[in-house]
Amino acid sequence: MNAFETLILEKKETLGLIILNRPEVMNLHNMAMRDELFEALSAFRLDEDIRVILIRGAGEKAFCAGADLNEFLTAPPPTAAREVRFDSDLWRLFTTMPQSLIAAVHGYCLGSGIEIALCCDLVLASEEARFGLPEASLGIIPAAGGTQTVPRAVGMGPALEMMLTNRWINAAEARRIGLVNRVVPRKRLFSEAEQTARLIADKNPRAVRAAKEAVLRGLDLPLDQGLELERRLALRL
Amino acid sequence: MKEPSVLFRQEGPVGVITLNRPNSHNAVTAEMVSEFQALRAGIGWDSGLSVLLLTAQGPDFCIGTDPEAWRRFPSREEALTYLSLTPIIASFNQPVIAAIAGRAYGQGLELALACDLRLCAEEASFALPQIASGEIPFDGGTQRLPRLIGRLRAMEMILTGKAINAAEAKDIGLVNGIVPAAELNASAFNLAKELAAKGPIALRYAKEAVLKGLDLTLEQGLRLEADLYFLLHTTQDRREGITAFREKRSPKFEGR
Repeated sequence: MNAFETLILEKKETLGLIILNRPEVMNLHNMAMRDELFEALSAFRLDEDIRVILIRGAGEKAFCAGADLNEFLTAPPPTAAREVRFDSDLWRLFTTMPQSLIAAVHGYCLGSGIEIALCCDLVLASEEARFGLPEASLGIIPAAGGTQTVPRAVGMGPALEMMLTNRWINAAEARRIGLVNRVVPRKRLFSEAEQTARLIADKNPRAVRAAKEAVLRGLDLPLDQGLELERRLALRL
Repeated sequence: MKEPSVLFRQEGPVGVITLNRPNSHNAVTAEMVSEFQALRAGIGWDSGLSVLLLTAQGPDFCIGTDPEAWRRFPSREEALTYLSLTPIIASFNQPVIAAIAGRAYGQGLELALACDLRLCAEEASFALPQIASGEIPFDGGTQRLPRLIGRLRAMEMILTGKAINAAEAKDIGLVNGIVPAAELNASAFNLAKELAAKGPIALRYAKEAVLKGLDLTLEQGLRLEADLYFLLHTTQDRREGITAFREKRSPKFEGR
């Protein structure tokens, strides 16, 4: 299944593995990666064998060090770019995947790196991982969901601080503010992530999907309606 | 001539707003609110201000609404119209940083909560003591505090009225950082300058996307973010930021 240029895809029984694979440029996210992620997630989404999807970066240095700025100035005009974005909306697909997603983050996790990680349900980081949102320093804003997913994960205080100041934080700090679930030594990162993935994959998949749906959709609702949704989902199991 | 309740000075891209009633611990009065309103009206989109700093004269940031201020109005309902200050602070498109030296109590804490980043001195303390006098916060405290520090911690502060110190405030995410009192103003100003080195339009849009987005569903929020992002595509600052990065130099943003 590896017809991809920027990703490696693997299936291990109930696990789907996506490796961001541009190690020579710290897995910078470019248009090709965007299109391939869209394809990969679309395929996994419909694959009934896959219960958990694990995302990590290739190479020693980074999960993903951000967006590939080399493409930025040759991109189509804003009106066209906007059409393309909403035509095949990777970030909407990402945040509405029925399966559970886990990010295993090592090294640099900047800009779109954080945004990809926060499209996942759980984030594991290695001890030396570093997190930052440098967009405002470049005259732009995070645009792969970061302005929405970061405050929902860490609250608006730390989110605004990271976004407005471009101060980078280490894994321990990321854990403290709630940007990652767990910090583990670098050499155990991928095996721990896989273990966690199996822990979830072993549960009743319908219950896992319902729990995820209750939490994610519930956060968008007033409490009363969230409780009603929870009741409906629970009855359906 | 009477000393103004609010001072303003502009230093390049940074606007410094100072609460100036140190003898009353900067308690909020109707005059302070109307001076703030006039100040706000004078800061247009073309003011050249990228960042605002909210500071206070004297050892305290602001101890709340001036008790005298209520008595000038026939009803509390009417008083609220003239004593609400956070809608004015929240109306700034630029990021606003609060520098809190001492007490930020009641409406004083509510002012700080309406800012985007909070820096405090080691001696600072924070409380919403309104409950002790049979009242509740009226200037956004019950809404902004839980959104910032979470439901449980906010409920504790609002229901008990108890004050917390700087270390606790940092621990629960009420402030972004603590510095020695003597360095507070300089640190806050440096933080403001640090922000001002970023793209000014990007700063405003990042703030808008975060704050507005938290009131939307995730899907609507993502849409807002993308729309603001594509609007940024039309700016010269974006081109400058990316070009400067590739040429390994500091960008010169012009807010265009």
